[in-house]
Amino acid sequence: MRIEAIGCEPNLIKRFALENSTRLDVVRKHGAYDMARKAVTTMSPAAVIDEVKKSALRGRGGAGFPTGMKWGFVPKDSPKEKYLVINGDESEPGTFKDRYIYERDPHLLLEGCLISCYAIGARTCYIYSRGEYKYLIDILDRAIEEARAAGFIGEKLFGTDFSCEMHTTTGAGAYICGEETALLNSLEGLRGHPRMKPPFPAVSGLYGCPTVVNNVETIAAVPWIIEHGGDAYRALGTEKSGGTKMWSVSGHVKYPGVYELPMGYDNLEKFIMEDCGGIPNGRKLKAVIPGGSSVYIMPASDIIGKKVLMDYEGLVVAGSMVGSGGMIVMDDTVDIFESTKNLTEFYKHESCGWCTPCREGTDWLVKVFKRIANGDGRIEDAQLLLDICDNIEGKSFCPLGDAAAWPIQSAIKKFPEDFKKHLVPMLQQDAIAAD
Amino acid sequence: MSTELIKVTINGNEYQTEKGARLIDVCREHDHNVPSFCYYSDLALQASCRTCLVRIEKMPKLQTSCTVTCTDGMIVTTESDEIEKARRGMVEFLLANHPLDCPVCDRGGECELQEMVFDWGGLEERFSERKNYAPEKFLSPMIGNDPQRCILCKRCTRVCDEWMGEDAIEAGGRGAHTVIGTYGGWLNCSQCGNCIEVCPTGTLLDATYRHQARPWELEQTVSTCTFCSDGCQVSLGSRAGEVMRSVARDRYVDGINGEFLCIKGRFGHPFINDEQRLRTPLIRYRKGGKLIPATWDQAFEFAANRLKEVADKHGAESVGIVGSPRITNEANYALLKFAKELVGTPNYGATDAFSLVPFFENLSAPLATHKDIRRAQTIILIGGEPEELQPLTGKQIRQAVRNGGAKLIIVNSTPIRLNQAASQFLHINPNTEDAFVLALTDESQAASSMKTLGIEAEQFDAVRKLINDTEGTCIVMFGGELSHAAQVALTGLPAMMAGESRKFLFHPLPIYNNSVGVHDLGLMSGELSARDMVAVAGEGLHAMYVAGSFLPEHLQGQEERLAQLELLIVQELFETETTKYADVVFPAASFAEVDGTFTNNDGLVQRVRQSIAPVHQSRADWMITAGLAKTLGMDFDFQMSASAVFRELAERIPAYNGLRYPQLKDESKPVQVKHQISERRDTSNDMQTLRERVSQMKPDGEKIMTTPNVGHELFKPGTLTSKVPQIHLLAAGNPKPETVLISPLYQITIDSSLRRDEAIAAD
Ligand SMILES: Cc1cc2nc3c(=O)[nH]c(=O)nc-3n(C[C@H](O)[C@H](O)[C@H](O)COP(=O)(O)O)c2cc1C
Ligand code: SF4
Ligand code: FES
Repeated sequence: MRIEAIGCEPNLIKRFALENSTRLDVVRKHGAYDMARKAVTTMSPAAVIDEVKKSALRGRGGAGFPTGMKWGFVPKDSPKEKYLVINGDESEPGTFKDRYIYERDPHLLLEGCLISCYAIGARTCYIYSRGEYKYLIDILDRAIEEARAAGFIGEKLFGTDFSCEMHTTTGAGAYICGEETALLNSLEGLRGHPRMKPPFPAVSGLYGCPTVVNNVETIAAVPWIIEHGGDAYRALGTEKSGGTKMWSVSGHVKYPGVYELPMGYDNLEKFIMEDCGGIPNGRKLKAVIPGGSSVYIMPASDIIGKKVLMDYEGLVVAGSMVGSGGMIVMDDTVDIFESTKNLTEFYKHESCGWCTPCREGTDWLVKVFKRIANGDGRIEDAQLLLDICDNIEGKSFCPLGDAAAWPIQSAIKKFPEDFKKHLVPMLQQDAIAAD
Repeated sequence: MSTELIKVTINGNEYQTEKGARLIDVCREHDHNVPSFCYYSDLALQASCRTCLVRIEKMPKLQTSCTVTCTDGMIVTTESDEIEKARRGMVEFLLANHPLDCPVCDRGGECELQEMVFDWGGLEERFSERKNYAPEKFLSPMIGNDPQRCILCKRCTRVCDEWMGEDAIEAGGRGAHTVIGTYGGWLNCSQCGNCIEVCPTGTLLDATYRHQARPWELEQTVSTCTFCSDGCQVSLGSRAGEVMRSVARDRYVDGINGEFLCIKGRFGHPFINDEQRLRTPLIRYRKGGKLIPATWDQAFEFAANRLKEVADKHGAESVGIVGSPRITNEANYALLKFAKELVGTPNYGATDAFSLVPFFENLSAPLATHKDIRRAQTIILIGGEPEELQPLTGKQIRQAVRNGGAKLIIVNSTPIRLNQAASQFLHINPNTEDAFVLALTDESQAASSMKTLGIEAEQFDAVRKLINDTEGTCIVMFGGELSHAAQVALTGLPAMMAGESRKFLFHPLPIYNNSVGVHDLGLMSGELSARDMVAVAGEGLHAMYVAGSFLPEHLQGQEERLAQLELLIVQELFETETTKYADVVFPAASFAEVDGTFTNNDGLVQRVRQSIAPVHQSRADWMITAGLAKTLGMDFDFQMSASAVFRELAERIPAYNGLRYPQLKDESKPVQVKHQISERRDTSNDMQTLRERVSQMKPDGEKIMTTPNVGHELFKPGTLTSKVPQIHLLAAGNPKPETVLISPLYQITIDSSLRRDEAIAAD
């Protein structure tokens, strides 16, 4: 398991390697909370938001929404409470970056939360994590206690009127609760269904109050921006997406792990084949899902020799997306029909059931996949799968439906052979094999 | 919604509409059909079925028209290949795991899913996989459930929450395994069955009607519910002379209640065709003897002769005539005419639970309709318990608070369930409602009343402030707790607190379906009230002609007195405590067998329509009265038609002047009678009486701290509701049976007693 910065200084992960890096006394020596003090005592909230806007920091939770702009949507003069909610649901298959922030540098996250709360006028921050992260939450809770004892969390911080409380909570293990509005429902103790948007959380979120929901990694980037300025952060990455991003790489690479790369890293092929050590056991690269399971699958031919830039625009040009940065690498032993079936089962299991297309569509898709896997495939099944996907895509209540459709659509398009061979009934397959 | 007009273009046609109008409504208004399942007017938006998708220019994806509010210049397409494919796709999805068991489904024939499939379904089923399975079961004695048929539109959970405030059902499970379920597997709610009504499919089922009839066999008759003063509009479904069900489904009826009904309105109808209905007239030839079946002629003859004897012997005023707040205006009018014109007695009354005469005599503001309640800004509820006694009012209050942001003030000695919705709850000492009215209407008494009421002055001031801050309508509701003087005092409120931007409306909470009608006719203003008549039976009063029966509050434990009467004539549906003493009993027709009108607590006169022929030999009450009059030599000239009775009534009763049946035809446009708003007159005597009453109140006794159970009134087996077998299970605490897979009725024996007493005791 590697944790490494490539192509840039370690920014997010710079304290990860310290011994006892979760301890306040350890990270204090390396500047923890100095930036919170700087922001709160020397900057106005608007100035903080400005820096973040300048930084071109985009949400690391998957949608890539410009963070500064999101903060700007919070109505400043609203008499209601404002909340910051940290999205640590990290349930996207292939994604495991936020957990390392919890595990190795919780104070980085807490400092980011303090600065962000200050910027948006929130006094309360909820850190929501997936239920399976219980053991990490203990680390976080301890960190909060330490920070509170040291006067970094609580009333009248840094000798100002700024007060801030932090609480950790967990979901019960539902992928949909990573979707920001379902998360808010879950946080309120309701069923984990997404809410209708608009109103967006920034206007009406937790308990109907203005709420900013940000990913763990997004917020963890904020102290650096305060330290070095928005322009410097932007300069780390590209004009449109500033800074560095953590990629969690799993699957058939020699060195799976979490890599901090500058936005716009050049390029995907080099990253997989060199930085991650290439494909083990002398096998060949077959496919990559670059940004968590919910994005289009890329065949090796779209990567090798293609100089795919690793940022929002570059991956779209290459036919996929950054998503959450959960990269799944597959070698030529993988049957893409099987891997797609596996993902579809995930989406069926995680569909919250609120809307018709996702609920019934994913159920149906899985049934078709299973039938095909059982040897009862029909040649028209490929069309059926695509048609079901088309009836889900763009019609579901929240993006989970789309996320279920995209992998299938791209898999059938990019790997038709892997499907075709299953769509001939078993008996015929046997006959072909006997030939 | 503002009244600013904007333009939207739908399928190339330009329309004007109000800014903020909902797109789906605007499309439909202009006949651009957009299908929907989850959209339900005045419920929280759901946007889950995705059948209402339309294309809006400049938006990337298809949009759900149920969630879109129109903006100026919006260009909308509701018909295109893309939209058609999406709709067909949704319907195909909805059918994927649907069992397609229409031939055995109670909803078959009136199912919205069937209709949707007719319009948007494919010719062939592409879903060839195995369907998900979940067993059919019961959720309560009233409610059956076939989860496989569910399309998860969640109308049911929303009405349960938003209309009823009960939140008794909610989705459980996830994804394709989501099912609508209960907490603990059994519904301990008020059993209103509104979840059944709004269900577009056969998922939630009327367990009392299960597999009894197909919708197309039923004749639908729009009528008015007979169970409380709210006057919900129902559609009675009858087949071959039997009322099979009562629904408020919007395809059949569109009244003040929308699709809302309560347990009684929906499930209470079996009394109509009950075995125990009286079949023939009955005569008790000698006191202490038996009631013996007779012909109508014999019975009329017998009653007429005896009545003449008594009147001749003791004078006309020795005859008492008692109408009923449960029968039609026409029936009560016939009785009034009988009393006044034929017998000539001043002693007429009606068996209402309490008198509203002082209130109506001093009426100072119009009666609020249920629509007004939904739109009110402030509601003051003094006494009463609408969620048990006037459930539609309860629902309107909840929606006013929840969807309309109204402020609810509750003044009650009991922490009633509706408190959940209240912004202010004045938890007063038992029986001190009068003191609250005094404090409110006589500021000099406010301070001294606080102790009597057992509340803090600040609480009371907060209530005053809420009323004073109201911009818009403030509705004052009150139950039977108020004394006559307090009723009068309360009518002084508008003069004291109404303002330029604040108007008052009253909403009295009488108990019965035609309580307001008997007041309007003047039946509650006779010299002796029903209770007084019982008290002097045999002494001064020697004959009584009673429609319906006395309630315990009229008998005051003195039912023996009825035996002192020389003649007691009763017209009834069933044998009751009162018929035990009757000399003649006429079998009356129920509301389902007659034409007529009821006047509800809004003052709306609503039609009662004949759904089935009178059972056995029963007759409409007014016909019985006219028949008896005829035997006594007076032709009431009713021409054997209820509309003629109503015409005469409308000519003579001022508030009803000018009304005729044709004006009352459309239940969606109910007519409010013109109750006279009286000139403010000197009420100092009443105020004095009230002050004295209140000064004698002793703030003793303990406050009532427990919230009454759901159904403590609704589930009481009354003369009518006791004919519903399931009611007995509810009255016994609605125990969860050992198995929910068969009808919960297995728990009771044929005589309605519980089979499993141990299990119930353990509950
Ligand atoms: C089905 C679904 C699952 C999601 N899961 C996560 C998640 O696990 N973690 C996360 O940070 N964002 C997740 N998101 C994205 C959030 O809705 C939201 O965009 C994000 O938390 C915003 O924070 P950011 O702007 O910092 O990225 C998910 C979105 C969807 C539609
Ligand atoms: S797409 Fe629909 S069913 Fe799927 S998770 Fe979102 S709301 Fe729930
Ligand atoms: S009616 Fe619009 S989504 Fe169901």
